[in-house]
Amino acid sequence: MSTPAAPPLLALRGVSVRYGPISALQDIDLQIQQGELVALLGSNGAGKSTTLRAISRLVKPVAGLIEWRGRSLARTATERTVRLGIGHCPEGRRVLARQSVAVNLELGAYLRRDRRAIARDLQRCYERFPRLGERRSQPAGSLSGGEQQMLAIARSLMGRPRLLLLDEPSLGLAPLLVAEVMAILQQLHREGLTILLVEQNAHAALAIADRGVVLQAGSISLSGSAAELMAHPDLKDTYLGEGEPGDG
Amino acid sequence: MVHLLQILINGLASGAVYALFALGYTLVFSVLGVINFAHGAVFTIGGYLTYLLIGGAVGANGLLAGLQLPLALPFWLALGLAGAGSALVSLVVEAVAFRPLRKRQAEPLLSLISSLGAGVVLVNLVQLLMGAESYSIPSSTLAGLPAALNLGGAQIRTVQLLLLLVATLLLVLLTLWLEGSRGGKALQAVSEDPVTARLLGIDSGAMIRLAFAVSGFLAGVAGGLVGLSVSIAGPYFGIGYGLKGLGVLVLGGLGSVPGAVLGGLIVGLAEALVPSDFSGYKDGVAFAILFLVLLLRPRGLLGKPLASKV
Repeated sequence: MSTPAAPPLLALRGVSVRYGPISALQDIDLQIQQGELVALLGSNGAGKSTTLRAISRLVKPVAGLIEWRGRSLARTATERTVRLGIGHCPEGRRVLARQSVAVNLELGAYLRRDRRAIARDLQRCYERFPRLGERRSQPAGSLSGGEQQMLAIARSLMGRPRLLLLDEPSLGLAPLLVAEVMAILQQLHREGLTILLVEQNAHAALAIADRGVVLQAGSISLSGSAAELMAHPDLKDTYLGEGEPGDG
Repeated sequence: MVHLLQILINGLASGAVYALFALGYTLVFSVLGVINFAHGAVFTIGGYLTYLLIGGAVGANGLLAGLQLPLALPFWLALGLAGAGSALVSLVVEAVAFRPLRKRQAEPLLSLISSLGAGVVLVNLVQLLMGAESYSIPSSTLAGLPAALNLGGAQIRTVQLLLLLVATLLLVLLTLWLEGSRGGKALQAVSEDPVTARLLGIDSGAMIRLAFAVSGFLAGVAGGLVGLSVSIAGPYFGIGYGLKGLGVLVLGGLGSVPGAVLGGLIVGLAEALVPSDFSGYKDGVAFAILFLVLLLRPRGLLGKPLASKV
């Protein structure tokens, strides 16, 4: 599955993050190979979003190293991580509510200068997400929650990332929409995109992931292939807190 | 008997200047969420720069007493250069009064105070260099244009028409730039959600500097235009306009570009409708309108509702 010779696309080595006096992540080790879909699981406050924020440099680790294709990101600004190929689709979707769907997508390609390729990607994006095509001139704030999630994912794709960080894309969506989002992620994965998927909905995430990593109070407590984790007897009760609602 | 058309043009002309002024506040407010209190000082500097560039001589009281630039540029060129100079001054204000506090993640209120300080320093600098006397930009610098036009029996000062035209042109260009260009859209993205903008690769620091530069340019041009149509009434002449601009900003709705324009025109027209016998009460009328509007619509005429948290 993975090619052991090449350096991993992304590697976290002993990463710790603090918010003032509160320790959010302790000594995280995590590697992602080109082409993988890795699910990062855990209950609320376990440090999943903080891990993504550390990778895209929105928070600076107090210890440890984050490497992108073998090179440290320690001196890279958030804006630069986008240029390197890290797309971060943030928690709560964060579409630009006052801007139209089309402008949101255009801004997803902000750093690209290849106008023709951008136009082609936009066309492909409207084919992949027909609802966005129908609503391209409407303000993004007027879309439904599911459509906003699709827009947030589509906007990240417009930047042509090599690694897509996705923060809880299923949050607040009805089961049918969760299944739809997961099907799209699975399709992107098949097309070769590397994905780090943060989810509370472990069942839905593991159904499409190659492997999973479970965070508990800021540390990795369990990891393994998706099949192993799915079969793990204590996954829900011990590691993720109570069973979660709305499994697709 | 003053003709209604004359009142209308005069009101629209000064309203357009207020709008330019308020747009400068709006641009900076939309990316930082803070009022830049040095804006009035930048307006003042724009007026003085225009005066110097058309070859005006400095009076007897400042350090630069008797200075006269060995060039007498046509008004339009001088105005454009003064705008560019004001944009630079505005960038310095950002670097000195805003950026250090932002780097330390200070309360936004603190940069409001530091910008007020920067404004006071700039005004005092102008006084030190140019003295406290007032200067006027002669309309003879508009070579070839008649002083007044006769429109349907109304005597309209050419200067007022030009003021209206230039301000309208700038407002249209600004709107086209904000809505249509890559940079304008990026600026709006920073204004709506700075974190998401960074995740899209937009350098928010660069966008903030851009907002300061554009707002400085608008203020400088407004200063030069007022210098031409009225006069440069000493180093403090920007302060009154600064307060009026703030009122216009709140009247139109904080952060709204069309709101700033609408607010400016309303205040300008209201002032022009005050009979000349009572012209001392102009400011009172302007702020009474502001008060009434805020009673009925606390977020201003075209203020945006808070971003939806869907």
